[in-house]
Formats: sequence, structure tokens, C-alpha cells
Amino acid sequence: MSFLTPLFLLGLAGVAVPVIIHLIQRERKNVVQFPSLMFLQRIPYQSVRRRRIRNWPLLLLRLAALALIVAAFARPFLRKQTLAAAASGGAREVVVLVDRSYSMAYGDRWTRATAAGRNAIGALGQADRASIVFFASGAEVALRSASDHGRLEAALVTARPGSGATRYGPALKLAGSIASESSFPRREVILISDFQRSGWQGAEGVRLPDGVVLTAVPVGDAETANASVTPVSMQRSSFSEQDRVTITGGAVNHGARAISNLEIVLELDGRPVQTEHLNLEPNGSASVSFTAFSPAAQGTRGTVRIAPDALPLDNAFHFVVAAKQPVKVVIADRPGSARDSSLYLSRALSLGEDPAFDVAVKSIEGLTQDDLQRAAVVILNDAPVAAAAAERLGAFVARGGGLLVAAGERAAWPAAGASPAVADVLPGAPGPLVDRTQGPAARLGALEYGNTIFEPFRAARSGDFSSARFYSYRSVVPAKGAQIVARFDDGAPALLERRVGNGRVLMWTSSLDLAWNDLPLRSVYLPFVHRMATTLAAYRDKPSWLTVGEVLEPARPAAVPGATRAASPRVVLTPSGERVALDGEGPDVLELAEQGFYEVRGQGRDAAPAVTVASNLDLSESDLSPMDPQDVIAGATGRAGGAVEPGANVTATDQEQERNQRLWWYLLFAGIIILAAETFFGNRLSRTGTVRV
Amino acid sequence: MGFGSRGVTKLDYAKMLAGCLTYLVHRQRDRVGLVAFDSDIVAHVPPSAKHMDVVLHTLDRLTPSAPGRLREPLHKMAEHFGRRGLLVLISDLYEEPDAVLEAVGPLRFRGSDIIVFHLLDPAELDFTFDSPSSFEDLETGEQIPVVPAALAEQYRGLVRAHIDGLTERFSGSRIDYTLVNTSAPLDHALFSYLTSRERLTRVR
Repeated sequence: MSFLTPLFLLGLAGVAVPVIIHLIQRERKNVVQFPSLMFLQRIPYQSVRRRRIRNWPLLLLRLAALALIVAAFARPFLRKQTLAAAASGGAREVVVLVDRSYSMAYGDRWTRATAAGRNAIGALGQADRASIVFFASGAEVALRSASDHGRLEAALVTARPGSGATRYGPALKLAGSIASESSFPRREVILISDFQRSGWQGAEGVRLPDGVVLTAVPVGDAETANASVTPVSMQRSSFSEQDRVTITGGAVNHGARAISNLEIVLELDGRPVQTEHLNLEPNGSASVSFTAFSPAAQGTRGTVRIAPDALPLDNAFHFVVAAKQPVKVVIADRPGSARDSSLYLSRALSLGEDPAFDVAVKSIEGLTQDDLQRAAVVILNDAPVAAAAAERLGAFVARGGGLLVAAGERAAWPAAGASPAVADVLPGAPGPLVDRTQGPAARLGALEYGNTIFEPFRAARSGDFSSARFYSYRSVVPAKGAQIVARFDDGAPALLERRVGNGRVLMWTSSLDLAWNDLPLRSVYLPFVHRMATTLAAYRDKPSWLTVGEVLEPARPAAVPGATRAASPRVVLTPSGERVALDGEGPDVLELAEQGFYEVRGQGRDAAPAVTVASNLDLSESDLSPMDPQDVIAGATGRAGGAVEPGANVTATDQEQERNQRLWWYLLFAGIIILAAETFFGNRLSRTGTVRV
Repeated sequence: MGFGSRGVTKLDYAKMLAGCLTYLVHRQRDRVGLVAFDSDIVAHVPPSAKHMDVVLHTLDRLTPSAPGRLREPLHKMAEHFGRRGLLVLISDLYEEPDAVLEAVGPLRFRGSDIIVFHLLDPAELDFTFDSPSSFEDLETGEQIPVVPAALAEQYRGLVRAHIDGLTERFSGSRIDYTLVNTSAPLDHALFSYLTSRERLTRVR
């Protein structure tokens, strides 16, 4: 008999303590001197000179009940070996895990891997079943629980190494679930891989079910020689008002031998434009900067490529670089305003770099439809808006434009009798002026740091809005659906936001010049104006490349003016030439599975221009350093010292044996029954026996 | 007689009672003597009209000693004291009523008047003990464990029966019997004795 929690057995000692104390306890010597015991001696009573245990059976019953309960808490179990099915009998459920990461394309690893897979299939018995699972960063079942050797081999030979990096965790989890669902007595997982160190972090949290045998089939090489490119870096500059980009590319030598005169080429739009040479020390790296070039407005495809070696997949790095497109902003002043009435606003925006802002200042009366077509953001700087202009601005916002309204003294918006396209645009109706010139000036009291406008200012010492003083502002009643993004110290809204159609509207309830506050004199003014304009333009910094395994989520294009239908479906062209439709009925995302350039194309007459996305390998896979397969086996099975031979005795863990036997339940039940019996008999005896004194 | 639960032992009380009676008798110019006894006579002052101080000094020197018995000392007194007189017996009478009467009987038959003062401590009468203890006989040293709560009622009943038995036997033998609670003031005990004594004298 073994115990899962043997420390509880110490409680058995406690059971004997009251009995011992009872037996050794002497009578208390409280002596009362009395004149005569003549009368006391006449009273018939039983002297309690010494407490002796008179009812041993009852005491033993009580002790037995307590002992059973204590033993139940100690979780006893009978330790025994559970034999796996004999080698001569019992079908096997086999899961063949084949590593398909791009490192398997090194040398003849893939050939050896498929050969090992065929051997495993050939060793299957008539009653055995096998599943073929390919894995890289994720795992995929090619064929599940099949006994047809032909089908199994076909699933194996048609596969090729992919572009993913190695992760053993998902594959082992999938194999474990297949094994646990099998009713076969024998279950085995065969892991065929080059056992790269980068694929196993050790704390995967994977544990195969008990009784599953894990066999490792390494197909790696003791010595490897591989060089891979490094991610490129870009430096932007401007020359003659043209955007210039300098690409710096490099390579890493993962081998133990130096590489001299390695050719590295910069390709633009598929054509080699410049060739350099690198010398790499063993396990070293080097880089080189290419001549600057001007990227095309729609984007230029670039590739940095080194000479091919035993693993050619990691010898190219792709990117897309486009000329900077400034965000077009139109500032609409009120009629008759001074020329420099938007000075602070325009100067602040003109200092923008990423993105840059192309600023035009016009009178509200001169704001044309063409202006609205070209602009991404319109700023109404304390301008009264007539009904017609309000209609155009409403439509501008609905199709994706951004509108910032600085509600100064003269700002006005048609309300009474206005159409919904006009009335439901602003985040609130500007109200009366609030004068804070008497007494302390107003300050910004609460900022919504979760909003994209103020999010960069969340960290300490990243901008102090509280130092700005506000002498006047407009009271505003927020409209339905509007959010208050900033408040003054008295709780009045300072900045409100509202989504309208595909665009959004911001309302600033004070001025954006020095008329009503000194915010333009504060250092936060410039980044604050940039954040508002960037948010209104929905500007997103497009990455120059993504990594295989990431998800491509093409931005949905804005609705074309006058279009009555929803945006047309799109198609993604993969690097291998496959077409994947994003027709809007399913998710509009695509997992990048290949290295190269993906192209997102719209379909139809109104389709937006094509967008190119570069996809690169996870270059950590280029480090071919191997690990000991026993580390994976020990981590996945909990058994150190190597895999267990198929057919050997398999012992369940103590916890599993105890859980299966559940002896504690029987002991506890027996203890409770005996306690009940002891109580019953004890009560009966106390009623019939003499009074003890 | 050395027992006392409230500071005054029965022996102290008896000495005071005997002293008072000695004084009263001496004031009446009668002769007074003293016999102190346990299982035998331990002190003897012959009756005399001039021995009051001797009696008082003898009383003062009395201390609790050996276990007491009534029969032997009283019978010896009966042999040596031939003259008729008044015999005052002061004792806690821890003997059976018949044994007490048998001890006192010979003195009565010689024509003496006998007055018995039965002294008992309040603890002996009420048995107000509460915690289980070992009770030790002051005279014999014998101990028995007692749980007072279990037998107090029975004890009090036995004491009452004993007193009733003594009362019955003494009254049948024309022996004055007075139960004295040592918690009561001494003058109270003397007054109630003198009152009953006077009433009995008129009846006779």
C-alpha cells in the first residue's frame, strides 16, 4: 500500500494522545478535611479512584473510525505496473510528425525525412493505423488514422518544405490529441525533424498522454554551412523635392568557415541595379549600403539577394518602399479674417514629417468640391458654415474624410431645418461662450488617453496639457454617438469626436490660435495638431514587409462618390501565382504562407489601385544549430533518458493509479459508518449503565 | 471538633459555650466542673464553687486530639461522679443515636439532668461543597473521593435523619437536646437554651 499524501498519517499519532492522557492522568488531589465521613460513607456511590477504560470495544470502534478517516486523507493506493499490450498483439495508433520548416530544404534533409516517413509507414501492421501530420510553426493533418499504406505514402511524397519556422509545441499537442482520442491499446508518435534548437523553448507546456511512446528520428547534420540575408534598413532623405531612399542590406554566416567575396545584389522591381561583395567571418555578419534611389509613388518592389548556397530560401529579403505621400489638409478660415489667422495651425502642420502634411489655407466661401476631393482633412478654423457648404462637408466626411471644427466665437453650423446629412455631422451643438477671464483660467482637466489622439501622451513626461490656460471656450451639448475625448477642469467638453459614415469629425470647443488660449505657445501644440490630423486622415504607417505566418488584412477602400453598391470584391495574388478571393462574405484576411510579393487587386471598374505587400521568412530558422532530440522527448513525455521502446511495460504515475483506484472514498465511507455505529452503541450503553463518578 | 468552615471551629465554639455556662453557674454560686474527652478523659476539673478560673484555664488549653468516642468517657464519668447534678454535654455527636443514648444513659439513671448541645458547622449541615474532591476524615485520616453535586442531597437527608433520631431519643429520655449551628451567635444559642430550660422547669 502506498500513499499519495503520507504526511496525513501523522494524524494517526494524534488519535492515541487522548487515550494516553486518559490512562496516565492521576486524580486531582483536592483534599477537603471533613469532621467525619460517617454520613458520606453511607451514600452508595462508585469511587472514581482511577479512571480505567471499561469499554474497550467502544474505544476500539472509535479509534478505528478515526484511523480510517485519517488514512483516507493520506490518499492510499496499490502500486502496480500496468502492462502495455503485448508486442505480439494489440493494434497501434501511430502519428507521424514530419517537419516541413524551411530548414528542411537544407541539403538532402527532406529526402531523408520522407524516407524515414516511408519506413514508419512500412512498419505498420495490418491492424495499425497512422496519421501524417506536417508541421512548421503550425501543424496540419494531411491524413488521419488511415491504414492504407498507399494513401499514407502519397500524402508524404507530395509534400515539400515550406516557408515556416520550426515550432514543436503545436505539432506535439496535435499528436497528443490524436493519440488520446484513439481507442487502440498502443499509441506511438514518430517525430521526423532536423531538431533545430530554435524550435524548442523547453517550456512548451506540452505533455503527451501517458502510455504514448515518442520516437525521435533526427535527419539533421552534424556540421552545417549556411549564410542568410539580414533584414534591410532604410534611410529616407529629400533631394530636389524628391524622396530618396538608401537601402542597407547584409548577411550572416551561420557556419564555422569564413565566407569571402560573397555577392550581394539589390534588385528593384525585379531588375538587379547594384552588386556588392561581403566578407563574412565564421558566425559573423557584414552589411553594405546601396546607392539611394527614388521610389515610385505606388511603391517599388525591392529585393536584397546573396549568392545561393545549400539553403537558398533564406538568401533573399523582399521589401516594398513607396514615395512619401503627404496628407492633404485644407484649412478653411472665416471670411474677412486676417492673413495670418491660421498661422499657428498651418505652421504646425507644415513641420510634419511622418506623415508630411500638404497644407492649403482658404476662405470657407472659397472651399470647392475639388478641394474636398483632393483633401484628406478639412479644418474649419472658427468659420461659419452655410447650408450648402455643410452639405458638401457632410458628404466629404461620409465617404471617409476627416473634419476638425475649431468652435471659436464666429463658428456656426446650420441646424434648424437641416437635412440629416448636415444635422448629424457635428459631435455637438456649439453653445454660449464660457468666460473664464475672471478668476483663474481654465485648464484641461481630463484626457482620454485610450483615444488615438492622446495615446502618445500617456507616458510620463511626454507632454503637459495642463500648463495651457484657456480664457474662453464654447459650451457644447454632446450629440448622440459622440465621445468626449478631453474635458476642461470644470468638466465641460474640450474635444469631442464622432464617426460619420466612413470618416470622423472632431470638435475643439476653443480656438486653435491665441485668441482664447495660450495652447499654441506650449510644446504639446505641435504634436497635438499632428495627432488630430493624422487621426482624421486615418493615416496608417504601412510596413515595408511582413513575415511568413503573419496575417494580411488589406484595408477596405473608401466608397466611391455616387456609388450605390458596396465596395467590389478583391483578389490576392500569392508569390506562387495562386489567386485567393476576398469577396467580403468571409473574413477579409489572409495568412502569409509564402516568401515573396503578395498583390491585392480590386475587381471591377471602380477598383482601387493594387497594393503590394512583401513577405519574408522568419530568419531565426536560418540558424541550423541542432539540439538533442532527447530534450524534446523528455519534455513531451515526462520521462528522462530517452524514448520508451514500444511494447515495454508502462507504469502509470502514482496520481493516476490513485485516481483510478479511489481507495480514499471507501475508507472515508467506512470511517463514517463506524462512527455512526459507535455513536449508536455509546448512547445505548450510557442509558443502561451506572452513573460514573 | 477541630473543623470550622467560617473561622470558628466547633471546639472554639464549644469552649466559648462551656465558658459562658461556667460563668452563669458560678454567678449562681453553684459548683461547676469540667471533663474534656476524646476517646478517653483528657482533662478533669472537679466541681467546685471556687474553680471557675481553673475551668476557664482548662478550657483555654484544650486542642483537638484523638478521635472521639462517647461511651467510654461518659461511662467513666458515671462511675466517678455519684452526686446528682446537671450534666451539660457539648459534642458533635458523630455516633449513632442509639450509641449516644447508650453512652449518656448511665448518667441519667443516676438522677442527673442532662443537657446535650449538638454542635455542627454550617458546612456539615448544608454540605455546600461543589468541586469533586477527596474528603479526609479529620479524626481517622481516611480519604474518599467525593463528587458533592452527586450526593449533596442525600447527605443532607442523612444529617436531618440523624438529628431527628437524636431528638426523638433524647426527648423520650427526658434529655434536653439542642442543635447548635456554629454560625449562629453564641448568645442566641444560650438564650434559646435558657428559654427552653425555664419552660421545662415550669412544666415539671
